[in-house]
Amino acid sequence: MGVTRQPRRAPRPYLTYAVQRVVQAVVVVLLAYCFTFLVISVLPGDPVTATLRNPQNNFTEEEVQRIVAYYGLDRPVWVQLWEALSRFVQGDLGVSLRSNLPVSTLIGDVLGSTVVLAVSALVVALALAFGIAYGTRNAPAPVAKALRAFPSLFLSVPNFVIGLLLINVFAFNLGLFQVIDSEGPAATFFAAIALGIPVSAQVAEVLIANLDHEARQDYAGFATSRGLSRSRLFWRHLLKPSSLPVVTVIALTVGELLGGALITETIFGRTGIGSLVQRSVTTQDLPVLQAVVVLAAVVFVVVNLVVDLVYPLLDPRVDLRGAARAPRTAAEQPLETTQGASA
Amino acid sequence: MTTITTEPAGSTGSAGPSGGWVPSALRRRGSRRRAPYGVLLSFGVLLLVLAWSLAPGLFTRQDPAHGVPADAFQGPSTAHWFGTDHLGRDEFARVVHGSASSVTSALVAVAIGVLVGGLIGLLAGFLGGWVDVTLARVVDVLLAIPSFLLAVVVVSALGFETINAAIATGVSAVAVFARVMRSEVLKTRRAVFVEASLLLGGSRWHVLLRHVLPNASRSVLNLAVLQFGLSILVIAGLAFLGYGDPPPASDWGLLVSSGKDYPLAPWLVYAPALVTIATVLSANRISRWLRNAD
Repeated sequence: MGVTRQPRRAPRPYLTYAVQRVVQAVVVVLLAYCFTFLVISVLPGDPVTATLRNPQNNFTEEEVQRIVAYYGLDRPVWVQLWEALSRFVQGDLGVSLRSNLPVSTLIGDVLGSTVVLAVSALVVALALAFGIAYGTRNAPAPVAKALRAFPSLFLSVPNFVIGLLLINVFAFNLGLFQVIDSEGPAATFFAAIALGIPVSAQVAEVLIANLDHEARQDYAGFATSRGLSRSRLFWRHLLKPSSLPVVTVIALTVGELLGGALITETIFGRTGIGSLVQRSVTTQDLPVLQAVVVLAAVVFVVVNLVVDLVYPLLDPRVDLRGAARAPRTAAEQPLETTQGASA
Repeated sequence: MTTITTEPAGSTGSAGPSGGWVPSALRRRGSRRRAPYGVLLSFGVLLLVLAWSLAPGLFTRQDPAHGVPADAFQGPSTAHWFGTDHLGRDEFARVVHGSASSVTSALVAVAIGVLVGGLIGLLAGFLGGWVDVTLARVVDVLLAIPSFLLAVVVVSALGFETINAAIATGVSAVAVFARVMRSEVLKTRRAVFVEASLLLGGSRWHVLLRHVLPNASRSVLNLAVLQFGLSILVIAGLAFLGYGDPPPASDWGLLVSSGKDYPLAPWLVYAPALVTIATVLSANRISRWLRNAD
């Protein structure tokens, strides 16, 4: 697709491409840090000192002074940004305004739970997406047609509604899991469904589009004319070329999993990054918020970097000319695929 | 001005007949193909919701803020279509009166996305060079931050109000609009009719306003409709978490959020949820129809 957009340039070797992409990724992460910092500090309001001087927080005047000095809150924004950025580069994420603990400790404590949730949600999403995609090609016509409406439906349901529905049906009515035991395997499974359903819609959309595209190719028609059954055609020929672009989509939905975790964790009463964000927002604990956003950006950038680096190795058809635009075109891909396919 | 009426070969690839000079967003009206029933229904739903937000008083005579305590927790009936809540307030009245803020916020969010994102994409695509490279990084940054998380951060920096939630949602939508606008501009800029217009002495501004923008409008319109639905979801999510106006405001997300505390009155969750789903589904359906109309 877009990767071949600038055909006039000379081909570049893989190494140049890889180095460029890594540099770009680092730049994007640093810019993301600056961007969040500016959003938090330039926008009106002075939540930091408001929080610090809030009598409920029990900071002595001396501690307030120390924290203000640490963050350089008495100095111009640009100086603060520079200091924060140099701390960030050294791996120091700052100190929570709420609990006076290092932000990295706070995040480290809850990271595991969110990773478990996100990975299970991804598994659920992939299983659902492949199931739907299989159905659209192999189920009887009315069912297949109905299945095609599923991604659109999944994308239209607020994920808190999915969560509430699951709790209502499976916890309250059927008693399959306890809401109180929020980290147990059963509760995690249902939380993963709630988080995974919107993601599955995106994967399924692209997968269905690719399958339709592959099914129109000559080789598919030839295989059918030689008497290959629908399901054999699906498994042996259509699935593999259709699944490869899905890797890119999965990488792009990583952010969605993290963002969605915010609501899902709140509903299912889980302790994780989402609930940490939720708590930091209510208490205006900006360093924590900043750290979580940057962490999310790092995860997104790294996952997409890995996919971009591995993709040309998986699919030799990908042309690395004009590769400087790789992240942008990778991001464009699902949208264009979806558009092209439903057109 | 231009005499090119047919598609110049190979100018726009798979984008369909966007090479002519009728603004492509308007071209649909020329063809007399009837819209499928699903699309008509979707338009109906959106019009109804719009009417609710413009003139809620026409659709319900009940007061959304004051209830009759004796009527608390009544199930859906002819008197109370969506039942009543814990204070005996009519849930239908609350949904109808809440639609104004949900719909307006979504429109504000889309407007921010279209204007800011569109401008970024237009500049990047049209000027190219270092402007493009710089703006591309900005868009990369916006894309790298999960949009819901970004919206949460922006709204917590601005303060918990529905209008701020709308702005936050708009900010998180800027990147998609910028991306689509840029790719449309690039597509059109290389078209033969643009080259012809330049050769005929058209200034850059003329080409931009007369050719590039109208041709990009179609894709941006699709995206705006789609984004309207997504914005409703994001704003509902923010309201659900309590980042919008506090009660007695009755944003759809807030209604679901307060309804979830009463599991024995499930209509308090399902009624606003179904209205939200129907609205978003309709926006998605219309967007898909516009996209396929090429």
